[in-house]
Amino acid sequence: MKLFARLMAAGVVLAASALPSFAAEKVHVAAISGYFAQGFGVSIVNGLNKAKTDFGIDLKLVDTGNRALDYEEQFANLAKSGQYDLIFVMGWELVDALQKVSAQYPNQRFVFIDGVLDSKTMIYANFAEEQGSFIAGALAGMVEDLGPKFDKIGEGKAIGFVGGRDIPVIRNFLGGYEQGAKYAAPDVKVNSVFAGTFDDPAKGSELAMTLYGQGADIVYNVAGPTGEGVMQASATADKYSLGVDIDMCASAPGNVLASMLKRGDVAVYAIIKDEVEGRKVTPGTRTFDLASGGVEVKMCEDVAAKLPAEIKAKLETIHKDVADGKIKIARAK
Amino acid sequence: MKTLPLPSGLLRTLAGQALAFVIALALGAVIILMIDESPVAVFMTLMRGAFGDAEKIAGTLLQTTPILICGIAACIGLRGGMFNVGIEGQLFLGGFAAAWVGFAFSLPPVLHVLVAMLLAVVAGAAWVAIPAFFRVRFGTNEVVSTILANYIATLLTSYFTIFLFKRPGGWSETPPILESAYLPELFSFSRLNIGLLIGIALAIATALFFRWTAKGYAVTMVGSAPKFAEYGGINVRKVGFGVLLVSGAVGGLAGGVETLGVHHRFMEGFAPGFGFDGVIAALLANGSPIGTIFTALFFGALRAGSLLLEVDTTASREIITVIQALIILAVSADLLMRRRGDRTGERRWKF
Repeated sequence: MKLFARLMAAGVVLAASALPSFAAEKVHVAAISGYFAQGFGVSIVNGLNKAKTDFGIDLKLVDTGNRALDYEEQFANLAKSGQYDLIFVMGWELVDALQKVSAQYPNQRFVFIDGVLDSKTMIYANFAEEQGSFIAGALAGMVEDLGPKFDKIGEGKAIGFVGGRDIPVIRNFLGGYEQGAKYAAPDVKVNSVFAGTFDDPAKGSELAMTLYGQGADIVYNVAGPTGEGVMQASATADKYSLGVDIDMCASAPGNVLASMLKRGDVAVYAIIKDEVEGRKVTPGTRTFDLASGGVEVKMCEDVAAKLPAEIKAKLETIHKDVADGKIKIARAK
Repeated sequence: MKTLPLPSGLLRTLAGQALAFVIALALGAVIILMIDESPVAVFMTLMRGAFGDAEKIAGTLLQTTPILICGIAACIGLRGGMFNVGIEGQLFLGGFAAAWVGFAFSLPPVLHVLVAMLLAVVAGAAWVAIPAFFRVRFGTNEVVSTILANYIATLLTSYFTIFLFKRPGGWSETPPILESAYLPELFSFSRLNIGLLIGIALAIATALFFRWTAKGYAVTMVGSAPKFAEYGGINVRKVGFGVLLVSGAVGGLAGGVETLGVHHRFMEGFAPGFGFDGVIAALLANGSPIGTIFTALFFGALRAGSLLLEVDTTASREIITVIQALIILAVSADLLMRRRGDRTGERRWKF
């Protein structure tokens, strides 16, 4: 009898200790980047924190710093213990180290934000920035096409683009922008320039002033902190600029036409939501586009109030056609 | 009452170092407590990150390598009375030069490495030649001119990388170097390569040079007592120029080791601050090449350990940097005290 009682007791203990595994396992998420303090990175952190509040996930943020020598060890330190279900990674300078470590730990699920790489074991959160840029290009083209009858617009029939570095994702912005302008205003030409750096606002300002000087009246900033100079230049020259990644209307009130938002928060939140709700995130590419709210063009109220109604109507049609897939936009390779 | 025998110089130094370390740990512990972490756990993680297993030790040595070679470069300058603060720039140009040979030419394996390294050395020496010339010809302060040369070097290599040699697509970096230009790795599980051995050999060779050769003695004399050296028939300007040139060459070599051994390409901003770390390591070692091996190892362990610290504890990168700085500060303060008491001879660079 005694033995039986003991066995029973042991059984109860075993069942009790096994219980927590029946309940939803806590999801452990890490995120690593050198850009969590600025623009797009802030948007990602917002999404992660929202997921933490809503789903009670365990969240670890790691700053890579700027020493290329460290990246591999940093990834390996995160991946080695296998304690993280998902590791979010953002930043193109990390790609080499990431792919090397991912090959060493093929079971560790890395989520690369903002691009698609060769590795088959990773998850890619890709943004249809060409769709948002298409809308931005269409808007800029139509406004420029109005000519001097619209406030601050000259006879130049040109719009500008300041890119940060010449990397694939920035090329994709430019491609969408050019196609959008051509679609909505075939007479307007696009002048594009790359700063070669994401960290030089003075250079951004200088390049934007050059573009304004050459007859462009609207300049699209896709240059991170370099782009802050572009926004400032639009106020100095009293022309227009288009913001990127986050809402930039406040950076030069009256001179910002709109911002093309890349919703990093929407993307990371959606991915974590799937994981938490039991839809295990598997390797492959997930594109966040206009239809799913991953990208959107947010008009600035002050300027939007002055826009002719037909431009607003046409923009809405274009928005709908792009979201429905009626307008096909080529992605930059 | 019996008086205790005075401890010998070495013992006193070690006791002082231990005391400094304890002070640093205590200060660090206060900061760690302020962010609600356990100081013991943080320091254990730091140690585990630096020496936890074979891979971690290799990681520490990997971090040590560039600091060591840059440190030797600084030592050579300091001994000759030249404060080469431009090692950062020499490192960048050397790194770029080696990578360029690595991807632009196809050569047989061993020769490829040698040619790439040679060009790295030449690039480093050439970069310091301008400040060196102004130093010996016009007496321009080399601290100022070499610091300024750093900015030019960093931006110049950025320009080369972005506008002339950027690989299509991807980040701002050159195409990868050919495998024939790779420095051999020491273990299969780490990127640690023979660069470390080059650094140690260089440290020993430099120490032997200063200890046993007439030329080495002449350089030391020019550094500590230039008037006396001149009186002894040494061409002070020529020696000074040579010292800076060799120092710059070693700085270039450090860059070559990094690109050929670790990154296998040149990236814009590939090794920020490594040159300055080397200068600090050399100063902590009081200009001794053998001492620099240990100070560089100390820095390398801090760097490698902090990488795990960031992942395994809630300490942020900023907190880790503060703790590192505290440890360095405490250790260096003690060394400066010792220098005042024990060292004779006048250095031109006084702080």
